[in-house]
Amino acid sequence: MWKWIQKLASPKVFYETTNKLIPWFLWPFIALLILGLYWGLVLAPADYQQGESFRIMYIHVPSAWMSMLVYFIMAMAGGIGLIWQIKMAEVVAKVSAPIGASFTLMALVTGAVWGKPMWGTWWVWDARLTSELILLFLYLAYISLNNAFDNPKTAAKASSILAIVGLVNLPIIHYSVKWWNTLHQGSILEDLAEPSVHPDMLWPLIIMVFAFQFLYGVLALMNARDEVLVREQNSRWVRAVVTGEQS
Amino acid sequence: MNLAEILSFLPYGKYALYIWLSYGITFILIVGLFVRASINHKKIRNQLKNKYAREND
Repeated sequence: MWKWIQKLASPKVFYETTNKLIPWFLWPFIALLILGLYWGLVLAPADYQQGESFRIMYIHVPSAWMSMLVYFIMAMAGGIGLIWQIKMAEVVAKVSAPIGASFTLMALVTGAVWGKPMWGTWWVWDARLTSELILLFLYLAYISLNNAFDNPKTAAKASSILAIVGLVNLPIIHYSVKWWNTLHQGSILEDLAEPSVHPDMLWPLIIMVFAFQFLYGVLALMNARDEVLVREQNSRWVRAVVTGEQS
Repeated sequence: MNLAEILSFLPYGKYALYIWLSYGITFILIVGLFVRASINHKKIRNQLKNKYAREND
């Protein structure tokens, strides 16, 4: 395991691995997406309280979930880069930020569009919504801080510290529906042993959560691959890859 | 008549506007992420190709 991590820390091996892994994330994403959407939009029955509107759940919950998971991955990768000086960890952290920010935006927008018919308002300043909005600002701060430095090493250092400090927001988002009174409903995926929704509604949700994880995977790999090329542009193997000659 | 009522002939009836709006925005964002990644991919390869070509002159 350790040997494998050391190998992966080499930019060339990392590049080759990302290239090879892309189809292994792309095709499961497409397959799960089609299955999840068909099940969720066609097969699942309407909800007895919320009617058809609950179908927004199948994109709202996975994107909200991913907004937090990607932030966690970003902060962890940033931390690994800080402590062990592994450049490839910095790459993972950097390319994750815009993807995570997009998931956060998706969660906020789909939540607003769901909130309008259910709560009668697009937005309320309650704990869940506000902490998710802060998450978006954390992503944006991370991205601009990362772009503010010419030296990628300094950029990674500064932005990783920001990402780690921002980690305190994650438990706040997660527990906000329990700690405070809020319009937002409780979690559906809290206890899978005793689910609070019918399997026909739950299964598509689980499938969509996995689909979004593969989506993050394929996007992160696509971006990481190019980020490595830029960072290692002075090494011979990058020249060989770009100009298409054998190294 | 508001927009939600106008669009209620679509699947999901009175919630059609909200469901298709949220799915539409999500679709656009996901496609955007893929487009961004592939534009970036081409741009970086071209930049590096030009750089190496200049160095060889």
